[in-house]
Amino acid sequence: MRLSLKNMAVSDAWFNRLVIGGITLGFLALLATGLAAYHSVRENQFHSSRVNHTFQAERAIADFLATMERAETGRRGYLLTGVAAHAETYYKARKGLFPLLARIRDLTNDNPRQQANVARLIALTRSDLPFMDQSVALVRSGRRDEGVRLFRNSVGRRAITVLRAQAAVMNDEENRLLAIRDAATAGSIRLFYVTVAVAGAMLVLVGAGSIWVILGYTRSLAASRDQLRLLNSDLEGAVRERTIDLQRANDEIQRFAYIVSHDLRSPLVNVMGFTSELESTGQRLRAMMDKIDAEAPHLADKGVRIAVNEDLPEAIHFIRTSTEKMDRLINAILRLSREGRRQITPEKLDMNAIFRSIADSHRHQLDEKEIDFSIDPKLPTIVNDQLAIEQILGNIVENAIKYMSPGRRGRIEVRGRTENQRAIFEIADNGRGVERKDHERIFDLFRRSGVQDQPGEGIGLAHTRALAYRLSGTISVDSELGRGATFRINLPVAFVAEQEA
Amino acid sequence: MNSHQPVNIIMIEDDQGHARLIEKNIRRAGISNDIRHFTDGTSALEYLEEAPDGPTHNGPALILLDLNLPDMSGADILGRIKAEGNPLKRTPIVVLTTTDDKIEIQRCYDLGCNVYITKPVNYESFADAIRQLGLFLSVIQVPDLPEANG
Repeated sequence: MRLSLKNMAVSDAWFNRLVIGGITLGFLALLATGLAAYHSVRENQFHSSRVNHTFQAERAIADFLATMERAETGRRGYLLTGVAAHAETYYKARKGLFPLLARIRDLTNDNPRQQANVARLIALTRSDLPFMDQSVALVRSGRRDEGVRLFRNSVGRRAITVLRAQAAVMNDEENRLLAIRDAATAGSIRLFYVTVAVAGAMLVLVGAGSIWVILGYTRSLAASRDQLRLLNSDLEGAVRERTIDLQRANDEIQRFAYIVSHDLRSPLVNVMGFTSELESTGQRLRAMMDKIDAEAPHLADKGVRIAVNEDLPEAIHFIRTSTEKMDRLINAILRLSREGRRQITPEKLDMNAIFRSIADSHRHQLDEKEIDFSIDPKLPTIVNDQLAIEQILGNIVENAIKYMSPGRRGRIEVRGRTENQRAIFEIADNGRGVERKDHERIFDLFRRSGVQDQPGEGIGLAHTRALAYRLSGTISVDSELGRGATFRINLPVAFVAEQEA
Repeated sequence: MNSHQPVNIIMIEDDQGHARLIEKNIRRAGISNDIRHFTDGTSALEYLEEAPDGPTHNGPALILLDLNLPDMSGADILGRIKAEGNPLKRTPIVVLTTTDDKIEIQRCYDLGCNVYITKPVNYESFADAIRQLGLFLSVIQVPDLPEANG
């Protein structure tokens, strides 16, 4: 499980990097598109204005040419008919010529070639106009023939033709510029389209990539969420399962111990029973031996006498003491197993009262051995099984009394405190103590420590520890050989029974 | 025991040694009734219910029952015999076993056992208990079975 979580973390980092990279790329593409668009539009605008400018120039040239033509038409009409309205037309058109020329010059001042053309156009106009004015003036003053002659002089015709040619040259020039500018505009538009297309493609790519990554991530997120939910629901299940397993194992052990001790007992009954039978048979044999000794001493055999009087009773004695010991051990196992099966009933316990009653029940021994027994008056109150607590504490107090140092006045002190919802009780004595290497060993079944000068099977403390565990508690000893021992019992302030399966 | 018809003692006990010790001590108490010994529940039940010379068809009986049998629990046999409708229902049953578990004892009495005795491991007490049981058997009145009577 840890491995897959680690993998997830790795993919997270990879994903983050990818997403940040993708988003950055997307924004960069967008920025580039924006810049390109801006650039293209500006370019376009510039080119458009140039094209527009060209058109204006062309129009101005056309205007000029038209005005010139109108002036010429007016002049010719006047020369032909002498109608004043034609003269009017001529003067009106003539007035517009120079402003138009100035405008053309202004419009083309960015192009030196056109400037030269404009200069020539102006020069031509300037050189032509005096003849035209003159011819009109002649007609006006009544000298029409003179005027017509002047016209015929062909200067006028040449002038207008040259002017037309010049205007055409200028138009061509403007058209050339127009072509260049159109091409530039088209180029910039093409560039814009390309940029937009590239940026669009990039955006689509980044978008698709992001969607792909996000989809993948969402999927993995959903998967891990499902897994987490499963784990979460499983955790409780796992704990419950484990507890049930433990309980089952414990029950199994208890049942095992129970069955074993019963099944061991059965043959033991036979061993002991037939040993007794053998003993009574032996007694009969001994009586027979005595009778033989008294009545027929010659039949008595020394070897038989020894066998009947010594070997047989000795063998029976050993068989009996061994079976008795075995019986005690089996009973101890049976008791442990039975304690494990007993229902724990938690109730509020006044620990001072419990210690007082323990002291009272051992009053006789305490007085006899002159042991001072003191109890801290403010022991914490706990909620637990009274019988089990009494058994645990009683056993420890009993041990303290049992293993006093003969040389000094005995003292047993009971202390208690609460720490983080745990009640800790200490039973300290100044007895013979326990060697450090035996601190754990004494809690094992059938194990004892120190000089074996006291009766016992090595069951009490094992039993005490098993009980403490059942009450969700612990028990340990702190001791130095010859200096006394302090047994520490750590219990929950309130015992909560594990849920039964 | 019953003056007119001899009461058979049926001992259901898987341990040969125990059976022998029980028999010895019953005899020592002066009981001379026939003792039939079975080491497993199946053959014992067969004898009790089917055999022509068994108690169902032939005369009153007293059952000594051990709880730890190889093929079934003594409690099962107890429950079966004491069940409503079984002709042996009134046959006294003495449970004689190593189990001294309170719950087990209760269960046996609930099932209808008449006497529950824990085999003491100490042989003197054991022999004593059996001898006392023998004395008890010598004064006990065993009901006649309807079939046996009729």
